[in-house]
Amino acid sequence: MAGVTPAAHSMASAKANPVLVFLMVSSVMAWLVLSSVSVAPNRIVPGSSVGVFGVAGWPGVVLGLLPVIIAGVLALKSSRRQLVVVALLVVLTLAALPLWLALAAHNLVSPELPGARLGIGAGIWVVLFLLLLSVIEVRTRLGLSRWQGGLLLLIPMMSFSAVLIATPWLDSLALRREFVTRSDAFYTAIGEHLLLVSASVGCGLVIGVTLALIMRHWPRLRGPGFALLNFLQTIPSLALFGLLIAPLAWLAANHPWLASLGISGIGWAPALLALIGYSLLPLVRNTFVALDDVDPGVIDAARGMGMTSGQVFRQVRLPLALPVLLEGIRITTVQAIGLAAVAALIGAGGLGRFIFQGLGQAAMDLVLLGALPILIMALLADALLGALGEWLQPGGAA
Amino acid sequence: MIELKNLSRQFGEMWAVRDLNLTINKGEFCVLVGTSGCGKSTTLRMINRLIEHSAGEIHIDGQPVRGFREDLLRRRIGYVIQHVGLFPHWTVARNIGLVPRLLGWEPERIAARVDELMALLGMSAERFSGKYPRQLSGGQAQRVGVARALAADPEILLMDEPFGALDPLTRDGLQEELLSLHHRLNKTIVFVTHDMDEALRLADRLVVMHEGQIRQQGRPIELLREPVDEFVESLLGGNSRGLKEAALTPVAQRLCHAEMTSGVPDIDANKTLRDALSLMLWHRVDCLNVVEGSESLGTLRLADVVTARAPMGTTRGLSS
Repeated sequence: MAGVTPAAHSMASAKANPVLVFLMVSSVMAWLVLSSVSVAPNRIVPGSSVGVFGVAGWPGVVLGLLPVIIAGVLALKSSRRQLVVVALLVVLTLAALPLWLALAAHNLVSPELPGARLGIGAGIWVVLFLLLLSVIEVRTRLGLSRWQGGLLLLIPMMSFSAVLIATPWLDSLALRREFVTRSDAFYTAIGEHLLLVSASVGCGLVIGVTLALIMRHWPRLRGPGFALLNFLQTIPSLALFGLLIAPLAWLAANHPWLASLGISGIGWAPALLALIGYSLLPLVRNTFVALDDVDPGVIDAARGMGMTSGQVFRQVRLPLALPVLLEGIRITTVQAIGLAAVAALIGAGGLGRFIFQGLGQAAMDLVLLGALPILIMALLADALLGALGEWLQPGGAA
Repeated sequence: MIELKNLSRQFGEMWAVRDLNLTINKGEFCVLVGTSGCGKSTTLRMINRLIEHSAGEIHIDGQPVRGFREDLLRRRIGYVIQHVGLFPHWTVARNIGLVPRLLGWEPERIAARVDELMALLGMSAERFSGKYPRQLSGGQAQRVGVARALAADPEILLMDEPFGALDPLTRDGLQEELLSLHHRLNKTIVFVTHDMDEALRLADRLVVMHEGQIRQQGRPIELLREPVDEFVESLLGGNSRGLKEAALTPVAQRLCHAEMTSGVPDIDANKTLRDALSLMLWHRVDCLNVVEGSESLGTLRLADVVTARAPMGTTRGLSS
């Protein structure tokens, strides 16, 4: 619903969209100037950078740039139809990026060297980033729902996954080499990560909603309650993980039944506790505000019609509060997906493990193996929960 | 019948309502009017116990309201508020069917009742029943509000400034419809407003409140002609009371069955003396042809409008 006004605005005027034009021009420059890929004979030796013209000749480079150039020209006159075409061109370019990598692998990596690997260069990362920004810009201008925006991002992701999984073209990609040697650990890590996030958001939700209800009932607790949660939020995540080690270790040492549950100073227990702690502030605040902000006229009418207080809560207050409550869950989930990476430091597992291993070995592709799925999970959670919140808006989708 | 006996309500140190006595007969249209903060809304909300009274008694048909469970009491009393209070996450049909659903009616019976009410309020069930409140205009939403209040066929309807937020044209139409509904359904209506024209137009019994107490009550025409004190007089409009009284008197009452005068404007017999005066001023004439449909009934002269004063019992007749 936030996108309605800009959409209406853009239909009225067909002026240039300076943001999109800037993004497209920058993309072209980054593409031409920065290194496109890097090639290394094995994992240890640093790779040598190769520019776009090293990957393909003039015709190939121009062909690859064509959709971006067209999109930039179209953005000069941003009527609604033009913007739709821009969106399609950008998504097409994003979806075609793996093909460019495949071309680079084919042209540059010699099949005689089994350890040779292809790295993704700065040019591709920058273009990827700029194009994602332009997807967001187009989404806002067109007034697309979160769901439609998420779908736009899903198409390139699917294309990348399809090329990676179904074809041998990218076998020499360093990222894939890292994945192949660790595929079991990778899937375990994803499972651990998801479990940690869902368990912390789930527990946080139960505790947070309970706290919000308590604070609604006893107004005196509001001030100190929010102060405490705010304080919790300001503790740096690494410090909180560390702070929990000692008390949990003591508990496990003195209560064997706790230790038998798997609770110890390091591992999932402190990670889960810390993540729950961080989830409380956004959850309590959103639940509280959501329940409190329901139009008093509607509540008055509900009571006046003869609803019991339980009916007022279940049938009126809660459903009307749900979209804002879901917004809280969305923020918390995205935050937890990121924070759970840090939890790897205290042995909680998850995708953070690859990031820290990679940092330790100066193997950036291993870092990526951990970071990329986290990024994708966060984007997916954001789109899914955002779309759910929109769908639950009072008055339906109409 | 609603009886309020020595009714009081205190908020902290302040008396919102103090020692108020009022009897509203069955089928009566009672309008509480007064400046803001005079306790009129509080009085209304004490009847369905949205606010509990501090002292005194409220009886509905001889039974004290405290004897009922709150929610069960409220399901028997229709309730309409200014900001409509429709449930934004429910369709129009679901909003209207709320009280019947709370009362555990069969779904078919609820659906039939919803259609019936929408027809009663002149809304096409086909067009509106599936819409959500935010898709309605202010007037349509308040119609739904009234339909929702009437859903379980309550004896009593409480209305708290229901037309306060509407534009004058819509408000005028809804007042007209409410009068005709009252005429047809014969509900006891307690209506709160601060708009004196609305109060005069709708009320059988007009209750002027000030500082938590009743200053004067009676038929609108009685209050207009014999206000008890300066406050009531000024609230009723001071010097403009003449026009307000004219707005309560139908043209038919002053009509003279004389010869038709040619060349003067027509006025419908159902219009009020106020409309007639306005028409005379506009056309610079002192005589109008009174018509009903296409049939001519007689003439109305300025002298009759100004001098003749009808007996008190017959002035109200706008509702039919």
